[in-house]
Amino acid sequence: MQNFNFIRPDNLEEACDLLVRYKDRAKLITGGTDLIIALREEKLPNCLEIIIDISNLKELNYIKEEGKYIRIGSGVRHAEIANNKLIKKYAPVLSMASSVVGSPQIRNKGTIAGNIITASPAADTIPALIVLDSILVIRKGKEKRKMFLKDVFEGPNKVNLKSDEIVCEIYFEKLPLGAKSNFIKLARRNAVDKSRMNIAVVAQQNKNKEITNIRISVGSLTPIPERFKDAEDLLLGKLPTQDLIQKAGKKIAEEMINKSGYRWSTEYKEPVVKSLIDRVLNGIVEVE
Amino acid sequence: MAANRKIELNIKVNNKDYKLFIASNKRLLDVLRDDLGLTGVKEGCAIGECGACTVIMNGKNVCSCMILAGQAEGAEIITIEGLEGPKGELHPLQEAFMETGAVQCGFCTPGMILSSLVLLKNNPSPTEEEIKEAISGNFCRCTGYKQIIEAVQLAAERMRGGGM
Amino acid sequence: MYKIINKSVKRIDAYEKVTGKAKYGADLNLTHQLYAKTVYSKYPHAKILKIDTREAERLEGVVAVITAEDVPGNNIMFGKFPVLAKDEVKYIGDGVAAVAAESREIVEKAVRLIKVEYQKLAGVFNIKEAIDKNNGKVHSEIEDNLIEHSHHLLRSGDIEKGFKEADVILERTYQTQFVDQAYIEPEAIIVIPDPYKVGVEIHGSIQNPYSIRTNVATVLGLKINQVKVVQSTIGGSFGGKDESVMLMAARSAIIAMKTGRPVKMVLTREESFLESSKRHASKAKYKIGAKRDGTIVAVENNVYTQGGAYNNKAMFVNWRASIHAAGPYAIPNIKTDIYGVYTNTVYGGAYRGFSAPQIVFANESLIDELAEELNISPQEIRIKNCLKPGDELGTGQILLPGKIPAPLEKMINNVCKKTDFESKRKKYIKERESFNPIKKGIGLSCTFRGAGLGGEGIDSASATVTIDIDGSILIQSGLVEMGQGMRTAHAQIVAEVLGVSLDRITFCNTDTSVTLDCGPTVASRGTLAGGNAMLIAARKLLDRLHKRAAIMLDCNIIDLVSENNFIFNRLDKSRKLTFKEVVEECLKGQGLSLSAQGWYTPGPEKLSSETGRGNAYPTYSYGASVIELNVDTQTGKINVEKIVAGYEIGRAINPQIVKGQFYGGILQGLGYALIEEVRNKDGYLETKNYDDFLIPSSFDMPEMEVTIYESDDPVGPFRAKSVGELGIELMAPAVANALYNATGKRIRELPLNLERVLLGKTLRK
Ligand SMILES: Cc1cc2nc3c(=O)[nH]c(=O)nc-3n(C[C@H](O)[C@H](O)[C@H](O)COP(=O)(O)OP(=O)(O)OC[C@H]3O[C@@H](n4cnc5c(N)ncnc54)[C@H](O)[C@@H]3O)c2cc1C
Ligand code: FES
Ligand code: FES
Repeated sequence: MQNFNFIRPDNLEEACDLLVRYKDRAKLITGGTDLIIALREEKLPNCLEIIIDISNLKELNYIKEEGKYIRIGSGVRHAEIANNKLIKKYAPVLSMASSVVGSPQIRNKGTIAGNIITASPAADTIPALIVLDSILVIRKGKEKRKMFLKDVFEGPNKVNLKSDEIVCEIYFEKLPLGAKSNFIKLARRNAVDKSRMNIAVVAQQNKNKEITNIRISVGSLTPIPERFKDAEDLLLGKLPTQDLIQKAGKKIAEEMINKSGYRWSTEYKEPVVKSLIDRVLNGIVEVE
Repeated sequence: MAANRKIELNIKVNNKDYKLFIASNKRLLDVLRDDLGLTGVKEGCAIGECGACTVIMNGKNVCSCMILAGQAEGAEIITIEGLEGPKGELHPLQEAFMETGAVQCGFCTPGMILSSLVLLKNNPSPTEEEIKEAISGNFCRCTGYKQIIEAVQLAAERMRGGGM
Repeated sequence: MYKIINKSVKRIDAYEKVTGKAKYGADLNLTHQLYAKTVYSKYPHAKILKIDTREAERLEGVVAVITAEDVPGNNIMFGKFPVLAKDEVKYIGDGVAAVAAESREIVEKAVRLIKVEYQKLAGVFNIKEAIDKNNGKVHSEIEDNLIEHSHHLLRSGDIEKGFKEADVILERTYQTQFVDQAYIEPEAIIVIPDPYKVGVEIHGSIQNPYSIRTNVATVLGLKINQVKVVQSTIGGSFGGKDESVMLMAARSAIIAMKTGRPVKMVLTREESFLESSKRHASKAKYKIGAKRDGTIVAVENNVYTQGGAYNNKAMFVNWRASIHAAGPYAIPNIKTDIYGVYTNTVYGGAYRGFSAPQIVFANESLIDELAEELNISPQEIRIKNCLKPGDELGTGQILLPGKIPAPLEKMINNVCKKTDFESKRKKYIKERESFNPIKKGIGLSCTFRGAGLGGEGIDSASATVTIDIDGSILIQSGLVEMGQGMRTAHAQIVAEVLGVSLDRITFCNTDTSVTLDCGPTVASRGTLAGGNAMLIAARKLLDRLHKRAAIMLDCNIIDLVSENNFIFNRLDKSRKLTFKEVVEECLKGQGLSLSAQGWYTPGPEKLSSETGRGNAYPTYSYGASVIELNVDTQTGKINVEKIVAGYEIGRAINPQIVKGQFYGGILQGLGYALIEEVRNKDGYLETKNYDDFLIPSSFDMPEMEVTIYESDDPVGPFRAKSVGELGIELMAPAVANALYNATGKRIRELPLNLERVLLGKTLRK
């Protein structure tokens, strides 16, 4: 276990000040389910001096509805998101994703911000938040800025956040009435296992069954989590057919190879992503 | 590299208040086992997978290997040692685990019982699926889980009956 | 009929486990103890050029650093394991130095300050490379990497003639992976230097106290009686807490002797996976010949097991394999050869099943392949060929009716009937063509298993039973409790014999200074051999009590009955004494001893090493199972839905514990079949903790229906035989067979993970 001092600020203000003061020499902790593993393996830089615990800050612990938005404090735990009524109603895809993270114990500690900042390609809530077009509210000292979630990722396990910045909130527009969403996780073990692949989708059809809204994100496929716009464009405005859905799956597989190269796992992932896209879309879209 | 400063820690464990001074890089697991001698809290993997270190913290089951001691400041913690009644009566879950054969080597048992306890507090009549879900973060290598699930069902039934 | 046995009484060690009071190795602490840790090799194969310990020694709080130079006696233990590697490291888990310090934190820092210079060497990392002569040697003295005494064979009939008679001949190769026992408690040892005897006392998670005692004595250059080993409560072992614990005990003992202070060593999960034994990986080539009607006429097999860098068990594992390799079938012509090879990888050792999971996977997959080839059903081919009363085994041993049971036919038919096997199987074949990507499948497997050690070694067991003045009874066995419930079974046997209630009995963990050396607790012999020893000891005491009671009650000794804590005259039940009254009279009134030792051995089994023929085991247990599963043909994910299994085990001393053994074994067997794999890449371990080495969770548990078949097999105590291992071995082949039923794809390599099931081949990083 690495050495460090431990500080637990009483409020967000104090936490922000500490971060600004210590910068690289400080690290935030919330649920600790990623950070403690890194500390145990002594993977944090040698300059680490303090761990700032923000897990008890009430200011970061809320889920609320505000006009067309749902706002989630960065310190909200997976278990709460999974069971929250607002989320179940307005963003079921996120509730589904949060409910399959790790185990009950992990969901009782692990937070949404921690999941984002660790930026594991296999993270479960990220694809869900991506298809919700989520926005992060980030604070540095007293300054606040906003950023699309998709722009925070730089690569596997890498985010472009400064060491003195704190994610305070994640928010997104409620899914429109009539939009459907779906999430599936593929793993080797049926509990406590990282996703081999996960897929989040949102889709909406008009009266004529044409697709008016489609958002797709797949975890563990590309270096940076994203929406698969080419595949989405293929579907948007169209009457979905099995053929069209298959084409969308193929597009996504192509994009995976373009972005990640042909790797040891590609032979497996290529057919699987095609089938799962097919399945996940068929689960929510009325097909001709 | 920074030196570990000692921090003050106030926690309530099994209904007893403690004020401790501990190294800041200790985990809650270390404090419970080493400082308080509560060796019913087990360490199986240290990475949050196996659930042997499960304790109840503020009403929720958590892995004590995944919590820095300082994060437990002000928290109420229950370990397996805190389950017995004032006269040493066993909790219905403990009785049921003995009766259904849910215990083999016993290493997973404390964590398993605590996760089950949280379940039964929130859901007095769980289905088999809900029990599986509740203990999915507690690995058992010996029993194949079947008799553990039977134990939770038996305890639930008795606790609902208001007996014991 | 029985009062205590054959009943599901509460385990006698359950209370301390449900209250968290049981003390496992890591829970023990002594004042002034040191914390020790091993420095492991950096390479799978390398020369050690230099070890520089100075910087570590200078760190404040470091009390001792040892290397191979510091071993006072013999550095090499059983199986060629070095306490600490001297000139060469042979696998990634070799220890090169050990450090002891005042705290865990300090010792963790100190191990990183030990500087070792290596010269990397080429290595052999799998069976193929080990057999291929040009790939180098693991041990310089062994040219062909073949493990000493690991070749076991069986010759029965005339193999060439057999194949000539065959209408159909199939040749297939099956492969299995290394897996870890993955008990949830990592290994822990605490060693106390004993100033009185100038020796050491060792406590911890120890499966085999006597072998550890002997090995540590040689390492320290002491006599065996200067080393005392006391077993702590063990958090699971399944064969695993043996070599790793021996190494830990040896290193810690050296430090304890050197410093005069208690030394505690607890492995992290990563260290446990690195240093503990694994189930041998294997490659099995099979050739089988049969008549058109399904009669099997010849089986030839050639099996290699991967032993890793050292060898503690290949010779035993392979011997067991040689007896069972042709399966539970009556086959006139058999030629079996089993070999073990060294590689620069983690090493093979004992793990529940002890060769059976590998062999049964191969053989039971093969039988289904043969059935398919002959166009008959898996059930029919098994019924036609399975061992029946009066049949002769490949070893020449005859399953004499009334002496050795052979109930497989009934068991296979029962599991098939319960699951509607044949009609489902046919239905699922039809559904292969259906649109739904989720396919259903059903698979069958059966097995037999020699009880106890058999010809592997002398099977003897000791027990001590002591009655105290208040009528309480202490039982001690040289065999250990690891969670399997052996103590409870022993207590039930003693209570039954003495006619007392179970609450009178307590047990004492194995302590080599009190109980007699009776070999390892392996091969499911805890109840068979250990229970027999208990029975003998208890009967001796009953005899003494009855002799006294006969005088007290003035009756014939043969008319006395002990039951419900009373001893009475069966002809006049009012003439009775309490158990305690008789005990008091014996101890106080007469000054008799009420402590007795039981020693049991079935005697040596006679076998020819040229042909492998003879009586391998005194008796056999049997199992049959049907698995129903569904497989997602678009992801390769298998979901086992239901298992119906039957096991013949003689008598269940405690049916609940017996079932628990099967449920646990079944789930381990499914883990082996589906998700578990210790992955080595060029000798480096890739699966380091539970996030990579996946064991089944509660969500991976299928519906399980286990039927216990009892028989009047006369060998065991109250007719109880072996239980512990039988559960695991039926799973992998039944899953593979069900997968074939579902998809028409035959996969001959484990585990049946996502990639292999989808693509039919192995994907590697
Ligand atoms: C056994 C186990 C199983 C798991 N299974 C899954 C799974 O199935 N799916 C999955 O997606 N994940 C899984 N995880 C990973 C982990 O639980 C999640 O990523 C979790 O959401 C992390 O949140 P945390 O609060 O614990 O983060 P922490 O460990 O506290 O922090 C993680 C990182 O985020 C930074 N950070 C935290 N909060 C903020 C903030 N507000 N602003 C800026 N930076 C911040 C920290 O400094 C740190 O670098 C598993 C982990 C374990 C141990
Ligand atoms: S020790 Fe904490 S989860 Fe395994
Ligand atoms: S009883 Fe041994 S791990 Fe559960």
